[in-house]
Amino acid sequence: MLRVSVISPESVLFEGEAASVVAPAFDGEVGILENHAPMMTLLGKGTLRLSGGAGERSFAIEGGFLQVVGNSVRIVTEKATTSA
Amino acid sequence: MAKGRELKGRIRSVENTRKITRTMEMVATSKMKRAQDRVQAARPYANSLAEVIASLYSADLAERFPLLRQPVAEKRAAVILLTSNRGLAGGFNSNLIKEARNLLNRLDRDGVETQLHIVGKKGLGYFRYIGRPIASNRIDITDRPTAVNASELVDKLIDEFVAGTVDAVYVVYAKFVSALSTPPTSERILPVTPPANTGARPDYLLFPSAEAILTELLPLYVRNSVYRALVETVAGEQSARRTAMKNATDNAGDILNVLRRTYNRARQAQITQEIAEIVGGSAALEG
Repeated sequence: MLRVSVISPESVLFEGEAASVVAPAFDGEVGILENHAPMMTLLGKGTLRLSGGAGERSFAIEGGFLQVVGNSVRIVTEKATTSA
Repeated sequence: MAKGRELKGRIRSVENTRKITRTMEMVATSKMKRAQDRVQAARPYANSLAEVIASLYSADLAERFPLLRQPVAEKRAAVILLTSNRGLAGGFNSNLIKEARNLLNRLDRDGVETQLHIVGKKGLGYFRYIGRPIASNRIDITDRPTAVNASELVDKLIDEFVAGTVDAVYVVYAKFVSALSTPPTSERILPVTPPANTGARPDYLLFPSAEAILTELLPLYVRNSVYRALVETVAGEQSARRTAMKNATDNAGDILNVLRRTYNRARQAQITQEIAEIVGGSAALEG
C-alpha cells in the first residue's frame, strides 16, 4: 500500500492509503504503484485518482508537484478540490 | 437621594458595557480557535514546499533564478503591511503600524525608495493620516483569507521583482507564535531565502528537471509566505481582541465593585442621617 497525502495551501485534503495513484503530470498522466523509485514531477491540470485502500477517490488539481519517497506519495498542489 | 440615583445609573451603564465586552471576548475566542486551525492546516503545505525547495536548491543554481538572486544594492523595496479591518483589539494594530514605521524609517535612512501596500482599514487610516503615499490597499480581505487573496497581493510584486523594478519585498504581519504571543514581525519574502536543507536527499528522478521544478515552485513558495502571513495575522488579531476584551471585562468588574460600595455607603449614610434628624426633631419637641 502507498501512503498518500494530498495537500493544498489551505488544508490537507486527504491522508490515507491507496494501492495506486494516477496523477496529471505536466506532460501527461503518471501512474504510481508500490515500490516506485523516488521521484519528483511537476503537475499540470486534471484529475488525480486514488484507488484501493479507502476506495476510489478523485480530486481536481492544478499545478504543484508530486513527490514519491519510499512508499509515500505526496501531492502538493495550489488548487485542489474533491470531486465525486 | 440625588447622588444615589446617579450612582445607580452608572452601575447600570458599566454592567451593560461589561455584557458587551464579555460577549466580544467569547466571539473572539471562538474566531481565534478557527483561525488557529487554519494556521495549523496551512503548515503541511508550507513544510512540503520548503522541504522540496531545500532539497533541490544548490548555491550554483541560485544565480540562474531571478527569485533567488540577491540584488547588488537594495534601491527600491516594496513593503506589504497587514493590519485588521476592525479595532477594539488592544495594541494589535498600533504595534503592527509601529513595526512598519520602523522598517520604513530604516529603509528611508538607507536611501531605499519604498512603495507601501496596505491590507486592512486600520493601517490604511493611519498612513493616509500621516500623508504617506500608498501604492495599493486592500480592505476586502475577510477573516478567512484564501490562497487567492495571497496571490492577488503578491503576484504583481513577483513580476516587478523579476523585471528588476523592485529589489526586495517585505511583509509586516503578526506572527502567531501562540495564543498569547503574536509579535509584529517583518519578513523579507523576496529575494527568497532558501530554506535550510535538512537531512539527506534521496536520489530523485526529476521530471522535467530540477531547474524547471524550482522555477515552478519558487513563486508558490513566495505566495505561500504571504498566505501564511495573512492567516497568522487574522489569528493574532482575534487573540489580541480576546485579551483586550478580557481585560475590559475584568476592569468593568473592578469598577462595579467600587461603584456598588460607594452606592451602599451613600444609602447607609442617608438612612443614618434621617434617623438622626428624627431623633433630633423629637428631642427638640420634648425639650
